[in-house]
Parts: sequence; structure tokens; C-alpha cells
Amino acid sequence: MADPAKSLSVEIYSDRIVTVLVMFSIFWAVLGMFAGVYVAAQLIWPELNFDNPWISFGRLRTFHTNVVIFGFAVSALMGTAYYSVQRTCHVRLFAPNLAWFTCWAWQIAILLGGLSLLGGLNTSKEYAELEWPFDIAITVVWVCFAIVFFGTIAKRRIKEIYISNWFYGGLIIVIAMLHIVNSMELPVTLTKSYSLYAGAQDAIVQWWYGHNAVGFLLTGGFLGMMYYFLPKQAERPIWSYRLSIVAFWAFAYSYIWAGPHHLHFNAIPEWVQNLGVIMSLILLAPSWASMVNGIMTVSTAWEKLRTDPALKFIVLALAFYGLATFEGPMMAIKSVNVISHFTDWTVGHVHSGALGWNALITFGTFYFLVPRLVGAKLYSVRLANIHFWMALAGTILYIVAMWGAGVSQGVLWLALDQIGELRYSFTDIMAAMNPYYLLRFIAGLIFLLGAMLMAFNFSMTIIGRRTIAVRPPMLTESMA
Amino acid sequence: MAYFLFAGDMLVMAFMMIVVVWVSLKSSKKSMQKTAQIPLNDEQRDG
Repeated sequence: MADPAKSLSVEIYSDRIVTVLVMFSIFWAVLGMFAGVYVAAQLIWPELNFDNPWISFGRLRTFHTNVVIFGFAVSALMGTAYYSVQRTCHVRLFAPNLAWFTCWAWQIAILLGGLSLLGGLNTSKEYAELEWPFDIAITVVWVCFAIVFFGTIAKRRIKEIYISNWFYGGLIIVIAMLHIVNSMELPVTLTKSYSLYAGAQDAIVQWWYGHNAVGFLLTGGFLGMMYYFLPKQAERPIWSYRLSIVAFWAFAYSYIWAGPHHLHFNAIPEWVQNLGVIMSLILLAPSWASMVNGIMTVSTAWEKLRTDPALKFIVLALAFYGLATFEGPMMAIKSVNVISHFTDWTVGHVHSGALGWNALITFGTFYFLVPRLVGAKLYSVRLANIHFWMALAGTILYIVAMWGAGVSQGVLWLALDQIGELRYSFTDIMAAMNPYYLLRFIAGLIFLLGAMLMAFNFSMTIIGRRTIAVRPPMLTESMA
Repeated sequence: MAYFLFAGDMLVMAFMMIVVVWVSLKSSKKSMQKTAQIPLNDEQRDG
């Protein structure tokens, strides 16, 4: 730890990098969601690909997932991690120039990686589609991110490490481990590589990575965001700090085992599948512990929900977090999975987490963060409230559409006729999906328009302003 | 081999459960409350 006696008055938090990362995150959100809406439209009107392979469904869908996860979500996580780690440690960032490198190098990697996906380069591993040069670039940036984050914690001025830093730290360490192990591959050319693993082993490693990327990035990382920004906005400490610590450790140990539930009824050992089910069910406890902790924190500040759009987004995000983390373990149960697997139910489940939890908590955090970063009021609270209702409507419509589509698909696929043959052909079932796909397209469009409204609101808030200087507080004896 | 892996998994799980219980019991209520206050006083703005 650094010497608390050092002059704090000259030290200023490195917040400009946070502003830049927030802006990039919003840019990727709008771009990635636009790609998502476009591929949703292609499922209803396939001619929208215009026979151009660059915007064909297979490429554009991968572009959508990569841009929203690695562009929107990771930029948001990096920005909020840099913002909160400085404040919870009462020091500015360790190696600010290295932090700037992580910011720009990440954006360049996402831009070039996204273009490579549109160009048809793809490893075929879900959420790890980028080819090996990008894997190396991501590793380098991630290690630098770790150096900045843990370096800041190492030079902290207060003894305790706040809970948000445990979650952000878990995100950084586990994602590094997952990415490196899952990306072990043999390059054959500059643009093509083959996985080091084969067959069932490849599938197990892939879904160990895939599930835990969801776990530690889209769940753990965003819980870090929640544990810092919710108390800030509610102006109350977290309801039970002890529960947050227990939830962190229980989350960390149980999530890592749950990946095999993606491989039910496949050629992997039965006990691995069953272990995946058991750990998925156990996971419900730590997941809901954080949700309860968040809701109880706001429970004494309900009046703020009337006036604070940022807090509304975060509370709604917690509700969707509770829904998604209940649905996930249920879908891991084999008798449910036999209906849900490979159907749009999975797509609905993913989006109840991605839209309802990740996007909403990020929007809420940004509504809090952007005005504070530039020292101004939000351009329009009314627009933020309209955005809130659009985001809520879009998310609910999306989930309902995909539940309907998924359950229909699952039941129709399993239906047999009197002599035991499949009752419906694949094309029959696809034709039955059209109303659901139309509803999903409308839902996505509403959500996208809301995000564009937010981008406009922030642009008007920021325009002509600079990031203001904020210093660590003077330490009292009790804090040092 | 499968039983060996399964037994190993269970051992690791037991270890992690002990870690969770230990972590949850080790800190005092006072220190927990103090840590929970961190985000509420973490910056100084001029003006």
C-alpha cells in the first residue's frame, strides 16, 4: 500500500480514459444491436442478404455477438473497472499510459476482428470465433488490463479490498485462463488455425470456455459493476457485505463446473453431464444471493426510483438477472433440456440476460456516470425515461417471442405420428416460426431505438465539455 | 479414470466449500461495515 501521508491534493483520478471507454462502449452497442436487428430481419426476409456474403446471416450473426460482447460489454467493464478501482483504492490508476494502450488496442482488435468475421474468417468455436492473430492480440491487451487493475489495487491507500474489485479481479483472472486454454490452436496460415483438441475433448473445453465466459464476464463482471454503482446511486452501503463475500466465493467455485449442461445427450461422459446439472442447480444460490443483496440495498430508497432513471435501469436489471439465473439452472435439468436445447428458447434465455441484465445495468451505470464524468446535468431526463420504457418493452417482447418459438420448436420436433415417424418436417416448423420472428424483430428494433436515444442524450450532455478533475478524498483515521 | 476424476472433483468441491465458510466467518461485523462504506466516500469534487 502507498503512504497515506503523501499529498492527495495533487493526485487526480484518471477519468478521461473512462469517458473514452464509455463512448466506445455505446458506439459498439448501437452497431452490434443494429447487426442483431438486421439478422433478425433476415430470418423473416432472407433476401435482405442481397446475395452478398459479407452480410449473410452466418457472418453477420457472429459479428453481432462479438461486437456486443467484446465491444460493448468489455469496453463497459474496462471503463467501469478503471473508474471504480481508483475510487475504492483512493489512488489514480497504476500505469495510466498502459491503461490507454488497453483502451485503444482493444478497440482496434474489435474493429479488425469484426471485419475479419464479416470477411468469412472464423474458427467455428462459439464466442471464440476470432482467428489466432486476434487471440494473441486479445491476450496481450488482457494481460495489460490485469497489470493496470491489480497494480492499482497493490498501491491502494486503504487496507480493505472492496467487493466490486473481487468480482472484477475474478473476471480478469478467469477470462485470461479460459481464453488461453480454449484458444490453443495450430496455425496453418495467417488466417486459419485448427484447435489443439479433438472431438469430445474439444466440445468440453469449448463449453467450459463458453459457459464461463458468460459466467465470469457477463455475470461476474457485471456483478462487480452492480456492487459499486448501486450503493453509489442509492447512497446507501450494500445491504449485507458478508453476504456479498459469500456470494462471490460460492459463485466462483460453482460456476466453473456448469459448462457441460451445454452438451446434454452428446458424446461426453454421463457423469460429466450430471455434474453440470448439479452445479447449475447449486449456482442458483449465489446468483440469487447477489440479487437479493442488490434489491435489499434499494429497498430503503424506493422513493429515488421515481426521479432517478439510472437507478430504475439498475433495479430492473436485477429483476431480469434473477429471472435469467433461475431459468438457466432449470434449462440445465435434462428433462427440460430435451425440449429447450437447440431451440430459440436458448436464444430467449441468452437475451433475457444480455438485454435484461447486461445492457440495462450498463445503461443505468452510464446514466449515472456520464454526467458525473463531465460535471454536467444529463441533457434530458425525459429522454432517459422514454429509453427506460423502450428497453423494458423491447426486452419483454423479445423474451416472450423466443419462449413461444422455442417451446413450439421443442414440442413440434419431438411430435411423432402413429407409426413413430416425425410428424412435422423442419420446413413446416420453420414456417410456423414466422410470427415469433416478426415479434422478435420488432422487439429488437424497439431496444435498438432506445439505445440510439441514449447515445443522442449522452452526445448532447458531453458535447463541448471535458472530463472534470476529481481527487481522492482526504483520508480519515478510520479509513486509512 | 472417470472415478479418479470424479473423486478429484469432489475433493476440490469440498475444499471450496471450506473456503466459503472460512471466508464468511473470518471477518468481524465492524470491519464488514467499514468496508461496505467505501463507495460512499471515495472522491472529492471541487465546487
